[in-house]
Amino acid sequence: MTTPSLSEAVPAVTSRLRAAPAAWTFLGAGAVAILVYFLLPAHSDVQSIYYVAIGAASVAAIYVGATRNLPPGERLPWRLFAFGLLGQVAGDAIFAFYEVELNREPASPSVADVFYLGGYLLLAAGVFLVLRRLGGQTSRTAILDTLLLFAGVALVQWIFFIDPYNHMPFGTEAERLVAMAYPAVDVLLLVGFAQLLVGPGGRTTAYRLLLVSLGLWIVADEIYGLNVDSYQGGDWVDALWLGSYVVWAAAALDPSMARIAQPDRRRLPRLSAARLTVLAAASLAAPVTLLIERAAHHRVHAYVIALGGAVLAAIVLARLAGLVRAVEHAGLAERLARREAEQAQQLLKYQNQQLVELDKLKDEFVSSISHELRTPLTSISGYVELLLEEEESADKRGHLAIIDRNADRLLALVSDMLFAARLQYGRLELERQSVDLRELVMHSVDAARPRAAAAAVTLHVDVAEVPAVLGEPGRLAQLLDNLVSNAIKFTPGGGRVAVSLSAHDGTVCIQVSDTGIGITDVERQRLFERFFRSQSALEAQIQGTGLGLYISKAIVEAHGGRIGVESEPGAGTTFVVELPVAQ
Amino acid sequence: MTELVLCADDDEDILALVTLRLRRAGFDVVTAADGEEAVRVARERRPALAVLDVMMPKQTGYEVLAALRDDETLREVKVILLSARVQESDVARGIDAGADAYLPKPFKAQELVAKVEELLAPT
Repeated sequence: MTTPSLSEAVPAVTSRLRAAPAAWTFLGAGAVAILVYFLLPAHSDVQSIYYVAIGAASVAAIYVGATRNLPPGERLPWRLFAFGLLGQVAGDAIFAFYEVELNREPASPSVADVFYLGGYLLLAAGVFLVLRRLGGQTSRTAILDTLLLFAGVALVQWIFFIDPYNHMPFGTEAERLVAMAYPAVDVLLLVGFAQLLVGPGGRTTAYRLLLVSLGLWIVADEIYGLNVDSYQGGDWVDALWLGSYVVWAAAALDPSMARIAQPDRRRLPRLSAARLTVLAAASLAAPVTLLIERAAHHRVHAYVIALGGAVLAAIVLARLAGLVRAVEHAGLAERLARREAEQAQQLLKYQNQQLVELDKLKDEFVSSISHELRTPLTSISGYVELLLEEEESADKRGHLAIIDRNADRLLALVSDMLFAARLQYGRLELERQSVDLRELVMHSVDAARPRAAAAAVTLHVDVAEVPAVLGEPGRLAQLLDNLVSNAIKFTPGGGRVAVSLSAHDGTVCIQVSDTGIGITDVERQRLFERFFRSQSALEAQIQGTGLGLYISKAIVEAHGGRIGVESEPGAGTTFVVELPVAQ
Repeated sequence: MTELVLCADDDEDILALVTLRLRRAGFDVVTAADGEEAVRVARERRPALAVLDVMMPKQTGYEVLAALRDDETLREVKVILLSARVQESDVARGIDAGADAYLPKPFKAQELVAKVEELLAPT
């Protein structure tokens, strides 16, 4: 077995020490130092000086910790802690000086009291600065809670720690007042401590250490206050003050102290168990004090307790009133919200009803317009047809044919416009069945032959066997008629229109191409818009409503298909329709 | 024996046109200018077929149709509804109501005559 040589062991230990967080190192060293304090001869000069040394080291550590862990703007609370504790050390030092050099205590009140009490105020200021940075201290509830706490603590402090000086044989009046000042400033520290205890601060190591040090200091003060007659330097109570110094320094040295003023979101629900306990303790201060005084056969401070109890009750009442008001507010808001929701629902129902009625009305309207326009057209067409059959003069027959053709156009126009109007209102609804497009295409082309012949346009058709599609035959025929008659319309004499039908990849493809006037790229974007007419169509005075392609697109899309167009101005246009094959 | 056809339409011009077309095709025609009259004339004259406009005053073509279908002696009368209401829903409603045919206005004379002859042909 080999043991590491000293030359290896020493750097190992120092590096480990360097790695150990400064806070814990200081805490460990402080604990040892406190132990040593009690090993020193009691009430000796050495012990007094040693006490001051531990305090001074802690103050230095707090100063260094704040400088190291915090940016310049945020050091104030810790500087206050350092100077506050420095005040204590200075007071201790004055006492030590008197004991070592003069072998007596300084007269009371002395300059030491100025340091001590000033230091307390600085410490309290530091705590309140931390609390302020944590936030949540300015709401009405928070202020009432603080007042409640203050009243409870003040009542207890007065009865057990401050007032007793009034009934003790004590030196001068000044001496008595100074002695009473200590428990009085402890009230501030106690309130600050309680606020930190229930506050929203994240429970970091530094936060916990700060709570411990503050708690130790207060407990030491209170124990001292109860034993003010018998206390002597070197008593075990000194361990609490020394401990507070050391722990306070450890808090300052721990890096987490940088986050001490950051609230923890999870703590935001405000009425925690801890907070409730603290508030309950504060509000019970009066009766509990009374009971303790009675039990201890103490002189009962009836007036003070009655006054304190009244103040506490008033604050609790104010706090309660706030709660009740908040609850009422919430209840009212809820009722309002519910009423609004009900009204909104009724409005919605009413609007739905209106929509349904409007829908019916619109159908009725479209229907009756159709009826009103078709009725006179029926007479015109019917009687022209009759005349055409009977007229023998070729001229007059020609004129009658023109009337007939225009009546047909008017009828087509009426149909298209009504169809477009219905499309405007809602989706096109189809009554689907299995459709053989081959048949429809042939039919449509055959029907267009006379028009093609009249326009001197050759009409080619190339239909392959294609699978059936699911659709409404009437609508698909309308689509084909639109595309074919469009192509004929826009193709000058001598041109050619070709209709083809093919199938690939689960779609049936209809192509209608012409060698017509074509359309520009810009116009192609708007081709399927309602009432769109191309510039060339207008210039060539080709008649139309601009509804055919709009309707065609709607029909294709209602069938789950797509329609597209390719064109070269002057060279021709090809419309491509793709429809899904029936599954 | 020539068969009797009842024509009912509130539009005089169309009524005259339909009457003329059917007479020329060789049918006897009686007319009515509204729904009520159509029912009355049907009861009096017992036509073999009725050409009814849908949108008529007093009683619509549907109501006349229903009246005919409700009357035991007139139940077998063939009915053609003739209407300018051409939405699919209108056509479907006419057929559902028991019409034998539904012709949209404007109609071609040939279409009308062919339909009447088809319905009156001995089966």
